[in-house]
Amino acid sequence: MSQALAMDESERADSIRLIRESAAAVAPRGGDLRRIRALRFEEPGFDPAVWREMADLGWVGLRVPEEKGGAGLGMGAFCALAEELGAALVPEPLIPAALAAALLAADPAGEAALGQVLGGRLLLAGWQERADTLEAPGSLDAPRLFVPMAAGAEGFLVPVREGGRLTLRLLPREAADLAIDQTQDGGNYGTLRAAPDFTGGKLVAADLGGALDAALDEAALATSAYLLGAMEAAFAMTLAYLKTRQQFGRPIGSFQALQHRAADLKVQLSLTRASVEGAAAQLDAGLTGAARRAVVSRAKARAAEASMLVTRQAVQLHGGIGYTDEYDVGLYLRKAMVLANQFGSARLHRKRFMALSPEAVEE
Amino acid sequence: MSGNTQEDLNALDDEAFRRTVRAWVEANYPPELRNPPKRLHWAENSPWYFRLAEKGWLAPGWPKEFGGMGLSPAKQIILIEEYERHGVARTNDHGIVMVGPLLIQYGTKAQQERFLPPILRGEHIWCQGYSEPNSGSDLASLRTEAVLDGDEYVVNGQKTWTTLANDANWIFLLVRTDKAAKKQEGISFLLVPMDSPGITVRPIVNLDMHDEFCEVFFDNVRVPKDNLVGEPNKGWTMAKALLGFERIYLGSPRQSAYALVRLRLLAERMGVWEEPDFADRYARLRLDLEDLKALYETFVAQLRRGERLGPDVSMLKVIQSELFQRITEAMMDIAGENAGLLEPMGGNRDLHPSGLFINARPCTIYGGSSEIQRNILAKNVLELPG
Ligand SMILES: Cc1cc2nc3c(=O)[nH]c(=O)nc-3n(C[C@H](O)[C@H](O)[C@H](O)COP(=O)(O)OP(=O)(O)OC[C@H]3O[C@@H](n4cnc5c(N)ncnc54)[C@H](O)[C@@H]3O)c2cc1C
Repeated sequence: MSQALAMDESERADSIRLIRESAAAVAPRGGDLRRIRALRFEEPGFDPAVWREMADLGWVGLRVPEEKGGAGLGMGAFCALAEELGAALVPEPLIPAALAAALLAADPAGEAALGQVLGGRLLLAGWQERADTLEAPGSLDAPRLFVPMAAGAEGFLVPVREGGRLTLRLLPREAADLAIDQTQDGGNYGTLRAAPDFTGGKLVAADLGGALDAALDEAALATSAYLLGAMEAAFAMTLAYLKTRQQFGRPIGSFQALQHRAADLKVQLSLTRASVEGAAAQLDAGLTGAARRAVVSRAKARAAEASMLVTRQAVQLHGGIGYTDEYDVGLYLRKAMVLANQFGSARLHRKRFMALSPEAVEE
Repeated sequence: MSGNTQEDLNALDDEAFRRTVRAWVEANYPPELRNPPKRLHWAENSPWYFRLAEKGWLAPGWPKEFGGMGLSPAKQIILIEEYERHGVARTNDHGIVMVGPLLIQYGTKAQQERFLPPILRGEHIWCQGYSEPNSGSDLASLRTEAVLDGDEYVVNGQKTWTTLANDANWIFLLVRTDKAAKKQEGISFLLVPMDSPGITVRPIVNLDMHDEFCEVFFDNVRVPKDNLVGEPNKGWTMAKALLGFERIYLGSPRQSAYALVRLRLLAERMGVWEEPDFADRYARLRLDLEDLKALYETFVAQLRRGERLGPDVSMLKVIQSELFQRITEAMMDIAGENAGLLEPMGGNRDLHPSGLFINARPCTIYGGSSEIQRNILAKNVLELPG
């Protein structure tokens, strides 16, 4: 390995360590979830003050190049941050906001708006025209679905196909016809409509090119990392419970059936971590094209399925108390229910993986 | 409730009986209560309870002399099947399915006369006070105690996960009456009015965001000693005798059958119905359901022959509850972002993957968890050592 590359490696490790430490400002490890509970099922679903704090920490532009005002850090750092946020179930919409920042960074026309977004103005991308997809057809007028935490958005970025190119239009909140649906984790999805169509918005990118696809992939990978954090936390809680909860005169963790279950869940956690961190490292090493999309799909497919399994089992292993809202373990399940399918379900990503890299099997 | 109608019902052959039940249910069940997404509270399901009471159909399993229908087990199953087919909701039925059979088998004549008619009139609504914070799977370790003081028991302790205690005016309790005895041998059955001084009920919001179960606290609650059922310290045996019905009831394919229909509707809506990977998964679930029905039938046939169910009935509960869960997991997998919605998709109650998924979670916990059922299969059926 060349000297330069080795340097990069240690710099990368440093940035990952530092970002984990700074995450503690908003997402203290082992902190209680009272703040998270209080924000659930109330609009906007997160705390605008905490959101500003996160913007001040430079997190929205973590992936945006330094020359555009961002921090220019790698996917390893972004995933480490997302994982910490997931472990604390932080509801502030960092991943969707980072997606918006990536789109605005794609074209000089987006510069002004990008500056505002990095400063904490919450713009969210309305790119999705049906459920479970990573494709953005850019219809002029089709409603944009499933915009995460839309209730708190100050504006929307809508990709529109105009003259053969995918442009980006900015709609201020007031100009958008927005319907809100609550989600199981206490947040919300927005459905966005515009009359007569979305071309009325301000042009903030004349040609997104491949920027949207790339940004969606990064969002999918960061979401996998968030799920990894959430399932780690749910598992830690469950492991502690197995060690302390007594039935039949002994800790329930002494029953072999439950020991094997816990071991199986640990295996899934390890696979997820290997997959997510491996994907982030490969992206940081410059992987492009189909190979890049394939590792992202591998990570998201694993994280989606494993997070549902681990959080389901966390409830089961807690017995009756696991089925209460007041006990925290259920919060992780509800989070997984929302995020497992965001930026592509396991099913979608498995299919995409096979479509992209069938040769990987032969290697 | 004319005795004639009921004699006629038992005389009918199964098919004629089924047709009679179906016609009556379709004509009388409140349409707005079909397939409710959550367990209904008394305020919601009492009109149906009273309609059943009026018809004399409230207590299918009780003998006629106690005001029941005196139906054979096979006909009871048909009745349940028809209710399920129509989407009839469960009522606050603990008085019917647990207290009634308990008193009919073990109660004194005075107790039967005192407690059975108010159940049939819908005056006494019962809840089941077995589980405690530290005694769930290991129920026999329960610690809520009842100490005799003159003509009264004084009850202290706490019950939890008590379904619909917030609707009930009576609770049947398992209490410890002999602390010195082996743990299963010091337990008694006690019937307690919920308005007794010293009882506090705290509803608990469940994962479905519904106040369906409660904690019930007992602080020096005085209960007349006549409210003890059967012999003191024999409560465990009686409680076990009541379990057979519960296991077959919880093993009924109804929930899975209901969920599978919703899975298909969702698959069509999501445009995956024809996709090969989904088709194979659906086929697997469908065959599991058909085989569960066949297995269920063999247990029903045992009842029909008048046999007692053995510990192998635990199989039914494991298969049905886990199949129900797997069906709802398949729903989550194909629903895309809709899987995260709190409310039904587009306001259509039939398209609510997340709701059904959450509903399916506790089935492997209550009524003996899947793990406990497997322990029973391993020890009492397979007779494995340990
Ligand atoms: C929706 C709902 C409604 C309920 N309604 C009522 C009601 O009306 N009245 C009432 O009295 N109770 C009710 N219950 C309580 C229910 O019976 C208990 O939750 C159940 O017995 C499990 O006990 P627990 O919750 O204490 O879990 P625990 O017994 O603490 O079990 C925790 C975990 O350990 C596992 N485990 C325990 N022992 C073993 C073992 N030996 N081997 C392997 N695994 C083991 C369990 O399977 C579970 O996964 C209800 C529960 C629920 C969820």
